[in-house]
Amino acid sequence: MDEAALHARLAASGVPGIGALDRSVKDPFVVVEPTSIVPALTWLRDDPACRLEMLHNLTAVERPEAIEVVYHVCSLAHHHALVLKVRCPRPEGGTHETWLPEVPSVAGVHPAANWHEREQWDLLGVRFTGHPDLRRILLPEEWIGHPLRKDYVYPTEHGGIPLELDAVPLYERDPASPPPPSGRVRKAGEPLFQPPAPFSSRPLASGGRTVEPGEAPAGGDGAGAGGGEH
Amino acid sequence: MGVMNNSLPDIGPVRAVDSAIGWGRKSSIWPMTFGIACCAIEMMAVYAATFDLDRFGAGVPRATPRQSDLIIVPGTVNAKMAVRVRRLYDQMAEPRYVIAMGACVCGGGPYVKWGYNTVKGVHKVIPVDIFVPGCPPRPEALMDGILKLREKVSREEVFARRVRTARELDARSI
Repeated sequence: MDEAALHARLAASGVPGIGALDRSVKDPFVVVEPTSIVPALTWLRDDPACRLEMLHNLTAVERPEAIEVVYHVCSLAHHHALVLKVRCPRPEGGTHETWLPEVPSVAGVHPAANWHEREQWDLLGVRFTGHPDLRRILLPEEWIGHPLRKDYVYPTEHGGIPLELDAVPLYERDPASPPPPSGRVRKAGEPLFQPPAPFSSRPLASGGRTVEPGEAPAGGDGAGAGGGEH
Repeated sequence: MGVMNNSLPDIGPVRAVDSAIGWGRKSSIWPMTFGIACCAIEMMAVYAATFDLDRFGAGVPRATPRQSDLIIVPGTVNAKMAVRVRRLYDQMAEPRYVIAMGACVCGGGPYVKWGYNTVKGVHKVIPVDIFVPGCPPRPEALMDGILKLREKVSREEVFARRVRTARELDARSI
């Protein structure tokens, strides 16, 4: 089934809060109400025609108007996939300190979601309600804030460990030392790499060897005579 | 203090002993089995047969910091890891040496501006002897760092420093 057929089946399943299919992007997605993400993923997993049994990605995106949680599910049996999204609209003046959106956890449906949801909690501050163990997974336990939020202010130190760059460089270049080799400077507009000429356009020397640059290509009869002698 | 002065040995033979000790030390710099990120892959290549760090006596990675003389810090050190790096360094016995391998460890590298979690250079946590920049450094660059460290180790004074200090103290008391 393609995404449209999967979406039609999901919309007819009786699970409420299923939005329309957005086909404007490469991976078409369905926006689902936060309350219906767990029944929707459960139904898609258990339906014998869908069998979207594998959650291979769970991530979150911060936008100016909302935070989206994105679920990529696929079926190894039927070889099809679907993207679901949950939108949490940003309240007026919501920052990373005052606004931590709540989304129901799908760790009970797909166990793979357990660590993915911990990562989104750690870095973007999405609270997954009903998660069995919602702790930080990458940053230290005592870290404050969620660093991938746009309004996050970077810390200067953490627990006595400085996280700032040195104010003065550790070493100064000795002015008496020779300058570092600069190499050839690429001109503006010049491609980064010069692709080699394709083999078919290079003339052949005798014996079928391609001619190296600077070597004169062999004449037609010379190549024929060489081949005849062998 | 004439008695003390006579008991002190000449500095020349002491220096000869020191150079012998330095030769032994520099020829058996045992690094610690330790890797953090992608530079560790390059470090493993240096240990392996093609580049063969064992030629310089540094190809015996020790499984514990208590047996090792050298810690090569290969890879991005973040706030969580810096505590562990410091603890490993503290467990090493003197004399101990540190090589900072890679751009991240030398000063933040690509995370220098937007790395909220990155320690901008491991010299903020432990004292560094040799910096080997690169992203990652070529195996030749790390071997060059090892050779530089060998020079540094072989120049070190072991007994001559004590003799010199004693002489200075002696001279002051007179």
